[in-house]
Amino acid sequence: MSEFEKTDPSKFLSDIIGSSVIVKLQNGINYTGNLQTIDGYMNVVLDNAKECSNGKVVRDYGDVFIRGNNVLYISEA
Amino acid sequence: MSTKEEPLDLIRFHLDEFVLIKLRGAREIKGKLQGYDSHCNMVLSEAEEYIYNDSNDDVETKKTEMVFVRGDSVILISPI
Repeated sequence: MSEFEKTDPSKFLSDIIGSSVIVKLQNGINYTGNLQTIDGYMNVVLDNAKECSNGKVVRDYGDVFIRGNNVLYISEA
Repeated sequence: MSTKEEPLDLIRFHLDEFVLIKLRGAREIKGKLQGYDSHCNMVLSEAEEYIYNDSNDDVETKKTEMVFVRGDSVILISPI
């Protein structure tokens, strides 16, 4: 059971709400920020988000909503 | 349960305010958010579209009074 809890993806996602994350999109752009909310489509809201491409910060956003279909992965930063 | 926060709430909170929408194909639209749905179909007024070409310094802009944006081309939405 505990093994299952460790690897259940939706539990992982609800556990990392509020923490600092990296969201990589299919177009190769990374977004870092604090994960505010996430839903089953992997729509994501980050606050204090930074857009990085090629390792450089391209743009700062206050809040940002990312449509789930573009998400490649979400990792804890 | 109904009070549980979900990502689309961020969009709801910014109805009637200006937002930046990043779209597929190196396009962006800024406009006043008149409406949206769960597909991220959006209706914007006073909209301005920016089309970025390969050389980043030349940007085409188009102004539109009212525009409907189909949700499947939306990448991100940010209040401005």
